[in-house]
Amino acid sequence: MPYSSRRKTRWSSGSDREARTATASQMESPDARPLIELNDVSLRFVNYSDKQHSLKRAVLDLVLRRESVAPKSEFWALRAINLKIHQGERVGIVGGNGAGKSTLLRMLARIYPPSSGRIEIRGNVAPLIEMGAGFNHELSGTDNIVFNGAMLGFSKSQMLARAQGIYEFTGLGEFAALPLKYYSSGMYMRLAFAIATEVHPDILLIDEALGVGDAAFLEKAKVRLRGLVERSKVVIIVSHDLGSLREFCNRGLWIQHGQLLADGPINDVIDQYLARTTAQAASA
Amino acid sequence: MEVRTNGGVKVPHAEFFPPPPSPRAPSVWARRIAEDRRELVRFWPVVQNMVVQELRVRYQRSLLGFFWSLLNPLLMLATLGFVFAHMMKTVSNYPVFLFAGMVPWSFLNTSLNDSATSIINNEGLIRKIYLPKLIFPLARVLIALVTFVFSMAAMFVLLLAMHARPSWALLFLPVVVALFAGFTLGLSLIIATANTFYRDTGHLISVFLQAWYFVTPILYPTTEFPEGSRWLFRLNPAYYFIEMFQDVLRWGRMPEFGVVAAAAVIAAVSLGVGYAVFKSQEDKMVFRL
Repeated sequence: MPYSSRRKTRWSSGSDREARTATASQMESPDARPLIELNDVSLRFVNYSDKQHSLKRAVLDLVLRRESVAPKSEFWALRAINLKIHQGERVGIVGGNGAGKSTLLRMLARIYPPSSGRIEIRGNVAPLIEMGAGFNHELSGTDNIVFNGAMLGFSKSQMLARAQGIYEFTGLGEFAALPLKYYSSGMYMRLAFAIATEVHPDILLIDEALGVGDAAFLEKAKVRLRGLVERSKVVIIVSHDLGSLREFCNRGLWIQHGQLLADGPINDVIDQYLARTTAQAASA
Repeated sequence: MEVRTNGGVKVPHAEFFPPPPSPRAPSVWARRIAEDRRELVRFWPVVQNMVVQELRVRYQRSLLGFFWSLLNPLLMLATLGFVFAHMMKTVSNYPVFLFAGMVPWSFLNTSLNDSATSIINNEGLIRKIYLPKLIFPLARVLIALVTFVFSMAAMFVLLLAMHARPSWALLFLPVVVALFAGFTLGLSLIIATANTFYRDTGHLISVFLQAWYFVTPILYPTTEFPEGSRWLFRLNPAYYFIEMFQDVLRWGRMPEFGVVAAAAVIAAVSLGVGYAVFKSQEDKMVFRL
């Protein structure tokens, strides 16, 4: 089986050296330890189809003393990832669809536990992965601000103090008391975006270009996002928009079939990635 | 074909999915509990919000609002009390006896049914943002607990109207409620776990609860049964809790020490087992949604 080959994952030694030199140059800074450390992290998904994984089946298997025969398809979303990310790094992740980019982000956000290996994260994480998680459609805008704030680690009074700023930014002040189900999808997205970006994280995770509202709002959103990126210690962005990755990031990761193919300065990684994809397109 | 895990120990990966179950060393559990306590403090506002939201949404824009949750058990109790009072001539003041057992039972019933689906129904949250999964069944039990306390309060009003006099034993009621809530939370954790992996559990539970309700002396006192067979009730873990409620509420006396001790042990075991089961499967849950 291809993924058991450990040779392929030996790429890490190079980046370790880079990381070490980076650390050496920042020796004076008190916290030179990486904020994110992944040791040999793998993630496997097992698909149990609903019908096969039932109590009846489990009982039958037990009674008949047979091994569980339910065919399960397994899939390695990530294989033996080694990674160290230090303060000040802006990491852009590139790769084809289904390469495991978003899965990696979700794992860093603690949504998926690794199947093996160890993840160490020092600092609080703000995921901008899917916004509007936990919005309650029956409740008003302000109530949802408070609830979402609670999930991000703010107390009610802290969040109410921020509500004004959120309304100013989104222009939704007049709808503050309106239940969310009466919001248009644009309003909904704007509110979600404003709440999600109201944080002061150590580690910021951003998934994909964030489609939020009309052109005027998009401009404001970009400014706000840039501010957020600047005040975060570590930023990890997954995107297909290579131009903005070059602009935002200083380090690139290329993930293919759940494995890290390249790790280095963003422009090098993107160039490699482009070279490969165009070569593939040409040969096809 | 091997995958390296935490300690650098090599294990064949096929048998283990997610991380291999850690050895049952007490230090592991001590660390888990410490971590959970920290997380519960951190995420307590989320739990609070969930409870308040649920209660608000449930009664939003209905004319009687929260009174519906009181009216429902009251009507139920009044009907049953009236009908059964004629059959249960042996129990004086039968409606009070009935109330004392039924209101706590409906708390257990609601908690178990709701927490069965607590993980599944919050799929949207669990797959989008990190939250300790313990808070979902916990929030369901707390919601049921709030409703329970309000029903209890309404019951007292009714009892006063029926010329019942409060006794000193009522001061013991919070202890009984706390023990019963612990017992319920433990069971809820087990059921929340089981139902996430085997969706049949939810259906089984409602059937099972119905049967359990009738074998627990709620509608009838144990004195209806011959002396020799009464010990059978003691096999039912819910018996001790209902007995305490009936002692305090109906008979106005302190429960026997033996019953309280048994209830405390049962509550502790239930909580412990529930917590262990839930925590050991917690990591797998996100893959089974």
